[in-house]
Amino acid sequence: MNWMRVGAIIQKFWYSTRRDTFRLFDIFFWPVIELFIWGIFSIFLSKSQVDGVNLVTMLLGGIVLWSFFTRASKDISLSMIDELWSRNFINLFSTPVTMGEYVVGTIFVGCMKLIVSMILMFFLAYVFYGFHISSIGFYIIPSAIGITVFGWTLSMFVQACFLRYGHTVEVFIWAIAALVQPFSCIFYPLSALPGWAQTIARLLPTTYFFENMRNQMTGHGIRVGELALAFGLNFFYLMLAILFLNRSFDHARKNGNLVKNN
Amino acid sequence: MNDILVVDHLIKKFGTFTAVDGISFRVGKGEIVGLLGPNGAGKTTTIFMLLDFIAPTSGNIEIFGLHYKDHRGEILQRLNYSSTYVEMVPRLTVWENLLVMANLYLVPHPKGKIQEVVGRFGVGAFINKRYEDLSQGQKTRVFLCKAFLNDPDLLLLDEPTASLDPDVALLIRKEILVARENGMTILITSHNMAEVEEVCDRVLFINHGKIVAEDTPEELAKKVRQIRVNFMMKDGQKRTMSFAKKAGFPATADGRFVTISVDEADIAYLLSGLADLGVEYGEISIDKPTLEDYFIKMSRIGGGV
Repeated sequence: MNWMRVGAIIQKFWYSTRRDTFRLFDIFFWPVIELFIWGIFSIFLSKSQVDGVNLVTMLLGGIVLWSFFTRASKDISLSMIDELWSRNFINLFSTPVTMGEYVVGTIFVGCMKLIVSMILMFFLAYVFYGFHISSIGFYIIPSAIGITVFGWTLSMFVQACFLRYGHTVEVFIWAIAALVQPFSCIFYPLSALPGWAQTIARLLPTTYFFENMRNQMTGHGIRVGELALAFGLNFFYLMLAILFLNRSFDHARKNGNLVKNN
Repeated sequence: MNDILVVDHLIKKFGTFTAVDGISFRVGKGEIVGLLGPNGAGKTTTIFMLLDFIAPTSGNIEIFGLHYKDHRGEILQRLNYSSTYVEMVPRLTVWENLLVMANLYLVPHPKGKIQEVVGRFGVGAFINKRYEDLSQGQKTRVFLCKAFLNDPDLLLLDEPTASLDPDVALLIRKEILVARENGMTILITSHNMAEVEEVCDRVLFINHGKIVAEDTPEELAKKVRQIRVNFMMKDGQKRTMSFAKKAGFPATADGRFVTISVDEADIAYLLSGLADLGVEYGEISIDKPTLEDYFIKMSRIGGGV
């Protein structure tokens, strides 16, 4: 082994990391997120009055609903990055296909994959943990739709960032779900968060979907007003994401990023 | 002649760097026009502006009398593009890739059309292979199949015969000429000057983002007045080299062969001078200037002739 060459490799990583803010973000992001989520969850557990069975059911319900989000949040951005990695982007967009058609096609494929993986997930959760979909009831439909739409919204946002800033923001494709996760109150109630985090959580539609999931499971019923607010926020963010995506596409055409990223 | 493509005072700046600096040209229906220039001259930026991948800083592009702003779909439906620098989906077979492309172009009876173009470009033998498993030459042929799928009115070809064996390159040039006979308009970039001379009606020479020359390949080649005179010497090789040196003509010797570069007006002076010295040669040949000579000259001086 030649240590000079090993040093050169380290040097290469050092150069690329210090010039790339998003790589630095990657280094610090995951430990902070992990610490945050499981720290709050531990506090919630120690103070929780919920009995063991309900707690497990709520956790499984949270995991199942959250998986809608994690999948949807990668659908659009990952498919676009795949076009860029395979250098097919220019080939594709030199045809009459529009960005809107591309996104809709991607969402359609995402829906198909989502349905298949959800059926599998519900089945496995039932077989291994006795989790039954009926514990969420018909609430599964609006909550799954709402959470999925928010996933697509963030996926569009990441795609827009990608068009604007290039490959350096690839890390967001995987990080975006984790970034939203601690504030979405998946495994613990909104009240378990510190004050500043509650403010952020109230701005996320996912918070209301998970809060109401717990309400539904513990027999407290659905708060319709909160659901309406969640869908309203969803619609608002979706419109913002579409606008940002369009602007980023124009921006990428102006600075040549559409071609450079290929 | 109807203009299929009109480019008017097109400028593209990236920050302080000007990649394309006010170029204007027109391409008529059924014309094959070559866009030539050294690396970094602005050819690719121009092609990408013609495809709407890069927005011009200023200037105007009109294709089929339409603008991208309001007619992107209509323009791209009647246009196609092939380049050695882009790829198709690697995990899909050639057939699958072409079928997807045919459907994006809304080609009626796509399977029949694919069979037709595949036959024309000799792709049948590897139609069921994955795209990622093809050689570069095979990929180029697949891209040409894709480029003809929608029978485009305007075809942009970026290095269409790069990486191809000579016999396949010949086939491609033949297909390009057949396409022109059928009324297709083609804008082509190539580093193969012989190819450009063979297929192009007109050449635009671009350098430092500007069109520095525009003419037929033959006329551009004529602008290079330097010709090469090749001798197979019998006697007097040293005298020949000495004469060339005194006259200021660049000369090289390789065994019994001597090549002297002269302005075409000086040929008579060269031959009579050698005759006066009693030089004897067995064979003499003259290489006329080609488009390649013009390309080299223009690339070196970086401006107009």
